[in-house]
Amino acid sequence: MITFDSVTKRYPDGTVAVDALDLEIPAGKTVVLVGPSGCGKTTTLRMINRLIEPTEGKIFLDGQDIQQANPSTLRRGIGYVIQQTGLFPHRTIEDNIATVPLLNGWAKAKARARARELMELVGLDQGMARRYPHQLSGGQQQRVGVARALAADPPVLLMDEPFSAVDPIVRATLQDELIRLQGELHKTIVMVTHDVEEAIKVGDIVAVFRPGGHLAQVDTPEHLLGAPADDYVEGFIGFDRGIRRLSFFSANSLDLDSDVVLGENATVDEARALAGRGRPWVLVADAERRPRGWVSAADLASRPGTERLGQLPLVPVGHTFRPELDSLRVALDATVLSRTERAVAVESEGRVLGVTSYEQLRDAIRKAEQAADDELAQGAAT
Amino acid sequence: MSFFSFAWNWLNSASQWQGANGIPIRVGQHLYYTGLALLVAALIALPIGVLIGHYGRGGFIAVNLANVWRAIPTLGLLILMVKLLGFSYLTWLIPLVVLAIPPILVNAFEGVASVDRDLKDAARGMGMTDQQILRKVEIPVALPLIMLGLRTAAIFVVATATIAAVIGFGVGGLGRYILDGLATNNYGEVAGGAALVVVLALLVQFAFVGLRRLVVPAPLRDLARADS
Amino acid sequence: MNWPQFWQYTAANALLGIVPAVVGLAISVPLGIACVRWRWLYGPVLSATSVIYAIPSLALFVVLIPSTGLGNLTVIIPLTLFSLCVLVPNVVDGLRSVPEPVRQAATAMGFGTVRRLVRVELPLAVPIVIAGLRVAVVSSISLASVSTLIGVASLGYFFIDGLQRDFSEEIYAAIVAVIVLALGCDLILVLARRLLTPWSRKQGGRATINAEGGQLLQEQAI
Repeated sequence: MITFDSVTKRYPDGTVAVDALDLEIPAGKTVVLVGPSGCGKTTTLRMINRLIEPTEGKIFLDGQDIQQANPSTLRRGIGYVIQQTGLFPHRTIEDNIATVPLLNGWAKAKARARARELMELVGLDQGMARRYPHQLSGGQQQRVGVARALAADPPVLLMDEPFSAVDPIVRATLQDELIRLQGELHKTIVMVTHDVEEAIKVGDIVAVFRPGGHLAQVDTPEHLLGAPADDYVEGFIGFDRGIRRLSFFSANSLDLDSDVVLGENATVDEARALAGRGRPWVLVADAERRPRGWVSAADLASRPGTERLGQLPLVPVGHTFRPELDSLRVALDATVLSRTERAVAVESEGRVLGVTSYEQLRDAIRKAEQAADDELAQGAAT
Repeated sequence: MSFFSFAWNWLNSASQWQGANGIPIRVGQHLYYTGLALLVAALIALPIGVLIGHYGRGGFIAVNLANVWRAIPTLGLLILMVKLLGFSYLTWLIPLVVLAIPPILVNAFEGVASVDRDLKDAARGMGMTDQQILRKVEIPVALPLIMLGLRTAAIFVVATATIAAVIGFGVGGLGRYILDGLATNNYGEVAGGAALVVVLALLVQFAFVGLRRLVVPAPLRDLARADS
Repeated sequence: MNWPQFWQYTAANALLGIVPAVVGLAISVPLGIACVRWRWLYGPVLSATSVIYAIPSLALFVVLIPSTGLGNLTVIIPLTLFSLCVLVPNVVDGLRSVPEPVRQAATAMGFGTVRRLVRVELPLAVPIVIAGLRVAVVSSISLASVSTLIGVASLGYFFIDGLQRDFSEEIYAAIVAVIVLALGCDLILVLARRLLTPWSRKQGGRATINAEGGQLLQEQAI
């Protein structure tokens, strides 16, 4: 756990980078500091490992005032990942990763073995161990940077815009990797980014900074999206927050319509009967109950009653979603994209569970928002 | 007695300042050798260096040439010239020019070659021809380094001109005092000569600093200093 | 050709050239480190070395005669000072060439100042420092031959002797010997750099040419 107690950083020329900051970073969580340039987020981060010293206030790491610790010793217990990686050009990948263990006095063989473990952990091919940093791509270098930070198994990991220098596809992959890693390791991660999407994706808690080194809001991503503290935060979060918030609501809450599904061997007559009961579209599934396509009431009208559904021309299913894993946002997106204004819910093997349309989505969204708002109100009350 | 007292005593004596072996004559000769050699070297090395830099070829050769050049013993070269050419003005001029060329050439090349690519791009975009880019953009921006090359060459030429007197009595310059003094065990003359050489060498350097101030526009000077 | 004498004088020349470069390196590394640590120091140091560099070697030899007589030291001291002129800027540039993210990462990982210098900054400065050392060694070996004018043994002896006795072979042999000696040491240093920096990219890039240009491209501070 890291605690900032009224911490201020003032520079000799009068600039105040951080102003009387009070912040608590719980152990084992990912806290993302986000804000525009010059808002003090990076300064805040770098005060944790004393690369910058506060002008006023104290910072506590697990109850100890970090000012009392020897800086080098403190830093060996804190992993640090930066945007430009700062990998040692004159060391191999493996020796780069082994740096802190070696500093701590480990035997070379043991340190290298540990390095290889970490390479596997961060998804690097073992064959790269003896290469030099300049031989790797940007994304690979960043993975080495993370591996190096984790080598001595520090409880705390600091990350300063670690993924800003790589292209968007690599960035998304690295973000996913980080989430996966954190799921395994449960470190206390403090990350700085200017990308609010990244903060929302990766963070358990997001701290939004205002220019001048003040905190505007510290909250979970859902709460941030649902109830921004003021216009500044709302503006910072950006447009579309209502829909983005839906990523935090599970699609499991949807009432799925399973009556609208018929097998491919069913007849047109059966389908027409369904359509007559107020279903303009009927979903045709194969023998394994995997979705094949849609047929409309209008199509059915002109067909001989005994024809099998499987032989009719079908409208493509489009995007499907998995209620167990996906969010309401995914379900909504699938529905919007669908030619039939209906999205198909499937389970892990691809078998149809049911269908949802805008009505069900609307109900599910309303319920979820109500529940979230109640929780917010309760939280505010306590 | 120290170096300074020997030198001071010798310089103080009036006779040193008069006659064919007088200080003004020797200083004049030294400056003449230096100036002529620099001029000839510049006439040869500047165009080549600038063109190599402009066309971007041969840089590797130029730099390695400089390495080889540094290995050539100046004294040996002078004496070699005596053997090959006897006693003529070329005997001292050629070694001086040969030693002056590499710093002028390498600096001119580096100066032109390292002109910001964006600058050249913008110039081309404005419709300047290759020639115009060279004259109006590359050379002006390369001036600080070109001046540095000339100044560095001056150091080497002044130094070699000092030893040139070894060729024989036909060659003067301040080295004459040093060598004659050593031959006749007259340390006063040696010290006086050396003191004059030191002063001359430093004055030549200051002259180049002043020249740079005149020739290179202030913003470029500051830019060059900021890089170092 | 008196070959035994020739080799003896070659060895003497080698000594007169290599010792200044080595001593120069030994002085310029701490001095360079100090100039990086205390920025205000660099200006004056550069000015001082530039002034000395401008002075012809013969004159400097002569200045020292009352103090150190007509021995090796009279030659070695000025040549060492010349080496400093080349090496101090190279040490400073070499240290400054270490990328800031690398230095920052090293501090953040818990490297103390000294350890960081020794394990990270100096190793990365090696290519640029060796470039300077090459210039220093080659120039020293070549300049050392001038020592013959004050009667100190070096290959320069054969220039004068060859002229006086009208014995051209000596002159040629001595010139070749100086060049071979100097370029030989240059080559050894190039190989040393290859050995010491297995992480370098392919040679011949712009940065390398800059480093090789070495002394010629120094911005002097007078």
